Amino acid sequence: MIWKNSYNELIKILAKPRSYLGVGALTILVAIIIFAMKADGKSIVSFVTSTFEQSLSFNGNVVNGNLITFIILQMLIVHVPLLVALVTGDLVSGEAAMGTIRMLATRPISRSQIIASKFIAGGAYTLFITLWLGCVSWGVCQLVFGSGDLIVLNSDGLVILKAQDVLWRFEAGMCVAFLSLFTVASLSICLSTFAENSIGPIVATMATILLFTIIGTLDVTVFDTIKPYLFTTHMASWRSFFEDPVPFEDIKQSIVVLLIHIVVFITVSLISFNKKDITS
Amino acid sequence: MITAQTAPELLKKVVNKLNTVKDYSAIAKVAANIPMIKIAPSQATIYFKQKNKFKVVSKGIVILPKQNFTDMNAFIGNPNAYQAILGDSALVNSVKTVLVTVIPTGETNDIVLAKLWVDPKQAVIMKSQITSKTNGTITSTYTYGSQLSFGLPDKLVFEIDVKKFKLPKSVAADINNKKKSSTKTGSKGTITITMSNYAINKGINDAVFTK
Repeated sequence: MIWKNSYNELIKILAKPRSYLGVGALTILVAIIIFAMKADGKSIVSFVTSTFEQSLSFNGNVVNGNLITFIILQMLIVHVPLLVALVTGDLVSGEAAMGTIRMLATRPISRSQIIASKFIAGGAYTLFITLWLGCVSWGVCQLVFGSGDLIVLNSDGLVILKAQDVLWRFEAGMCVAFLSLFTVASLSICLSTFAENSIGPIVATMATILLFTIIGTLDVTVFDTIKPYLFTTHMASWRSFFEDPVPFEDIKQSIVVLLIHIVVFITVSLISFNKKDITS
Repeated sequence: MITAQTAPELLKKVVNKLNTVKDYSAIAKVAANIPMIKIAPSQATIYFKQKNKFKVVSKGIVILPKQNFTDMNAFIGNPNAYQAILGDSALVNSVKTVLVTVIPTGETNDIVLAKLWVDPKQAVIMKSQITSKTNGTITSTYTYGSQLSFGLPDKLVFEIDVKKFKLPKSVAADINNKKKSSTKTGSKGTITITMSNYAINKGINDAVFTK
């Protein structure tokens, strides 16, 4: 029953035009970035390597598909949570606003299963967005720029990864990125159970991400104790796969923190929706 | 006799030996050990053609010193552009060498000072220390083997004064970074290039250098 309901929820998501906003926006943004990098990629990359180029010269195919894919993911992965929240924030509150939630609650399926199926459908949409971003970026960049070694600039310095050692890092990174985005989706669905309109949960989700990101960025001792527990601190952990050596312990910690947040948001959503007074 | 040679004569012998090479290509295995850069050893093909055509071709990314191998050769190839002074002898890689200090006479030269430790018997440079306006000081050590007769080294070790690289602030602000950024101790980096499969004076098309 839950899978049938999840399928129905997915159909509802696909039927809404706003679901394609995110996909369309991502596609256009990726195309614009690829065009810009094709036109003037070398000077953009020089911004990164200029400090080293006083003494060293970088030979070989520096501006390649792997580098452009990494740049795209780095630029867009910050904005994708908004595109996810746009859809998932509407899953419960949108039904309340349209008045269909009463009809939904009369069906022979428990409220917990209703919420669970919304989470499954939201997760499926989030997975699609993540895969779309990753596959379109990587696929088109490989076609346009070809393959090559990847230069990554971390706070420790430059890491240059061999071309044959890059694909698995992208795959693993996208898995962790999906987890980060599903955390955002879970938060927005959770807030959606409290609201009667869609704008509230969407704005509240973005405000929460903004607030936690600022707290995470501020170099203030009083925030140091809470920073490791904020989900925004771990949202960029996909990037850790591009370090050498890969800090697997840090990544595991990030995965655990994100999973805990997801479990908490799902639990709160279940409690909230089960107690919700659906009379109008 | 070693002591009978003047500095210009010694350098002329070195240049004459290098000028027997009209062109060459070789496989270069490059291992860079530089503060704030992590890169695995990589391979490239190097092409050279007289007077100053130089090209590095590689599938992956290869880091080389900004000052390439031929800059110094081109510099000492013009005896009117510098004054050479003979110095003390010294042992470099168990080879007895003579120090030749080269001071450019022009004001517009990028190289401001060159110290060359020359093997007077074989007329090859065993070690060099080049100070230039744009690249700072680079110390290079050369090891010869199969191509000694042409003055082409089998191994080159470049020691580069990298100072402290500064990262762009937008990247340095890594919110996920829990560790303090640490630079390796010292401000020197080394690049070791092992040359092999030399093909000397076989003819290289100019198109190779324009691609």
